[in-house]
Amino acid sequence: MMPFLASDKWYDLRDLSNISREILEGADRVLPFGIVYVLAALLGFVASFLIFVLPSQLFVGVYGERKLIGRIQSRYGPNRVGPFGLLQPIADAIKLIQKEALTPTRSDRVVMYIAPLFFVAPAVLLFAVIPFGPNMIFADVPVSLMYFLAISSLPVLANFMAGWSANNKYSLFGAIRIVAMTISYETPLVMSLLGAVVIAGTLNLQGMVLWADEYKIWLGFVTPLALVIYFICVSAELNRTPTDIAEAESEIVAGYLTEYSGMKWGLFYGMDIGYAIAASAFAVTVFLGGWTLFGLEQWVPPWLIFIGKTHLFYMLFIWTRGTLPRLRSDQLMAFAWKFLLPLALFNLFIVATERMIWAEEGYPDAYVYLFAMFNILVSILLLFFWADFNGYKPGDTPTRPRLVKEPRGYVPVEEQL
Amino acid sequence: MDGFGVTFAFWVLAAITLISASGVMYSRNLFHAVLFLILTFIGVAGFFVLLSAEFIAMAQVIIYVGAIAVLVLFAVLLTPRASRDNAETRMALPGALLAVCLAAVFLFVIHDTGWKTTAEPPAISTSDLGNALLEIWVLPFLLASVLLTAALIGAIMLTRSAEEEAEDALL
Amino acid sequence: MTGAIKSEPFVINIGPQHPSTHGVFRIRATVDGEKVIDAEMVMGYLHRSMEKLAEERTYTQNIPFTDRTDYLSSMSNNLGYCLAVEKLAGIEVPARGNAIRVIMAELQRLASHCMAIGAFANDTGAWQTPVMWAFREREKILDIFEVTSGARLTCNYMRIGGVAFDLRTPFEPMVRQVLADLPPFIDEMENLLSGNEIFISRTRGIGVLSPEMATNASLSGPMLRGSGIAWDLRKADPYCGYEQYDFAIPIGYRGDSYDRFIVRLEEMRQSVKIVRQALDGLPTGPFRTEVPLALRPPSGEAYARIESPRGELGYYLVSDGGPSPFRFHIRPPSFINLSALKEMTVGGTVADAIVVLGSVDLVVGEIDR
Repeated sequence: MMPFLASDKWYDLRDLSNISREILEGADRVLPFGIVYVLAALLGFVASFLIFVLPSQLFVGVYGERKLIGRIQSRYGPNRVGPFGLLQPIADAIKLIQKEALTPTRSDRVVMYIAPLFFVAPAVLLFAVIPFGPNMIFADVPVSLMYFLAISSLPVLANFMAGWSANNKYSLFGAIRIVAMTISYETPLVMSLLGAVVIAGTLNLQGMVLWADEYKIWLGFVTPLALVIYFICVSAELNRTPTDIAEAESEIVAGYLTEYSGMKWGLFYGMDIGYAIAASAFAVTVFLGGWTLFGLEQWVPPWLIFIGKTHLFYMLFIWTRGTLPRLRSDQLMAFAWKFLLPLALFNLFIVATERMIWAEEGYPDAYVYLFAMFNILVSILLLFFWADFNGYKPGDTPTRPRLVKEPRGYVPVEEQL
Repeated sequence: MDGFGVTFAFWVLAAITLISASGVMYSRNLFHAVLFLILTFIGVAGFFVLLSAEFIAMAQVIIYVGAIAVLVLFAVLLTPRASRDNAETRMALPGALLAVCLAAVFLFVIHDTGWKTTAEPPAISTSDLGNALLEIWVLPFLLASVLLTAALIGAIMLTRSAEEEAEDALL
Repeated sequence: MTGAIKSEPFVINIGPQHPSTHGVFRIRATVDGEKVIDAEMVMGYLHRSMEKLAEERTYTQNIPFTDRTDYLSSMSNNLGYCLAVEKLAGIEVPARGNAIRVIMAELQRLASHCMAIGAFANDTGAWQTPVMWAFREREKILDIFEVTSGARLTCNYMRIGGVAFDLRTPFEPMVRQVLADLPPFIDEMENLLSGNEIFISRTRGIGVLSPEMATNASLSGPMLRGSGIAWDLRKADPYCGYEQYDFAIPIGYRGDSYDRFIVRLEEMRQSVKIVRQALDGLPTGPFRTEVPLALRPPSGEAYARIESPRGELGYYLVSDGGPSPFRFHIRPPSFINLSALKEMTVGGTVADAIVVLGSVDLVVGEIDR
């Protein structure tokens, strides 16, 4: 059968940009000049955030995460509110809204109000450049990858503002530590993304997806090390376990969020998830092919493929959160600077060399598969070699204690039993 | 470059930038001053977008807001409370005088320069920028990286504790 | 260019409300930047004056008190107390009673260590996943306790001269089931936690306790054995017929938190071995010798000690010939184990202090009584 090609009609749901185009063109004819821009902005917000992201956030982020973590911990997740607990996020939202949002008297009220805004706005803005389909991008900026990096450095300021406005010595120090951790994980993040940019040759996210479409291979296979480093760095940016010193015992007494209650805290929590979904969407776009699926996108609506992939990637976040313990903050930063950054630089070097050879010698396109296999092999070897070089030798740790039969006092370690 | 949208955006961005810049000067609290500074940087990034230099705009946000503003915030937050007052000092009058002189110089230069305007901005893509940096301007580029490396090493040296220095001593 | 940056130490309170489950216990830590330079313990939030209250009640009426000191290992507490009274009054316990006591004490050790390793992994940051899995196994043991004694947590099962009730019919199959389920669980925990790189880097080298310090501070239990000292009261000073059972003592290598963790895991394996031997060789006969309701032991004093899951639990009883003890003192292992806390936490960070507290496995009910 011939695959359906998405047509231009407004009712063709496989390309939702038809609907928005019809609405905007119709509005342009009716409304005075200029107002259509406002309408376009509103429509973009509604389409990308309210329709795609907010339900994802509620159902996958709040409900799905709690159910999945519950199952990992051998218990049911929420299953009281609604059938199978599906209305749990709504119950959470209602609870948070009706809670009294206490503000300490000597805190800085203005900054305390603004900090959640500074946290919510980037998470919403990130979805403006992510391609949901061939024509479905809100703003096709030529440098959309850098836009992502730029916007992802904004929530750091929100953390700072939240920690400072509480007028509490401990939350201040907690905020400082978290900001130090976040900015030290930004460097390997940028380096790993650079590797992907070098292969694809473009900074534009839609361009990367089209590259994957053209060469029928995902960037995640060509630079697997970049994907792994990106995953670790972005879960550090999102303050998720194993790097969530934000939520946990930073100084035991307080984190930067202690003075927040009610919906202000709910905004932080919700946008944590929203930002995680944005990071997953970004990873899917760059490394996992975006809305393409080796030709399936001509049958299935591409935005469905994209959303499915995003949620699957988000499950990886949930999985590591449920399983791994937490690293101490100085260990975290040592990990970023001593382990991840050199790895990212190695990756960049290898990828850039390959790209140069590929472009200059004019090899055929099929060589990219060769590079992919080579890169996967080299990445695994490099991970093990670099970990060993840095002294991470888990095999050296004895997992069973020594056993003696008779009590007799101190048994030195060297003594053979 | 004309168009209602562009003009509207220009005036809005100009208002935001100038108001936040004056907020930096006039706010009593040093922390608030830094926040206004961040807003100023974002406004300038908006101007770069208007000039079709998106790469520079994003680089401005990444570097200025993401790194330099955070650095300034660290410095502000680790100072004791007493010196966090951004109030008026004795240097207000000489400062204002200096600002007026500088403004005069700028205005004269702006007035006397023969500005060339084009209808369409030249289409410079990021790859052209990269080529320029690595072919024509490679020496300043490398000098900048040497300077940054020196700053890194200096920062590490400043914060070493006595035990670490003793460990790495050459003897 | 040293000394250019001056930092000033400040005091923070860790507790009494903990994010991690150790009860109401407070440490006043003086922190310089990240490093702890002094740690002072403040205890007494859970003081219930048990020792004084015990002087008003008869010896049998004091048994529920002992349940509630170390509420996570009530069978062991009961056992220690009954041993002290029996020593004071010179009462013999029949063989079946001893065997049942051993089974209960070892099952209690299993349950308590389940909680200990779960809570310890929770302190290192694995969000309750190990706790939930460990509690799943602990539930099976608590069900056994409920079948036998009627209560899950504060069992009040041992009596002076034996145990309170005989074993019921569902007891043996339930215990066999637990003995079959537990070794795979322990192996799973070992796989998931002891081999986990993050767990190792959080616990290895943290809270190192040298053997000299351990002996000088009179520590006991897994803390002592983690430092490489082979000392277990079940072997050194056997009670209740422990000398007939064949088991080994696990000892650690360096005395850090990781060693204490693997020692506890291995103790669970050894306990499974002991329970299996005791159950296989369970003698028939009476399970308790009759003692009068208001027992009046001759005046004198007695000290009996057992190896509770936390260490050496001792009971010191002074009798003046009356129905109530003249003086009743508990030697709590957690309290004595904490005397080494300063040595273990100073020099590390605050996060390390939390991990060390988790590895001490303290129960505040026992510390404050």
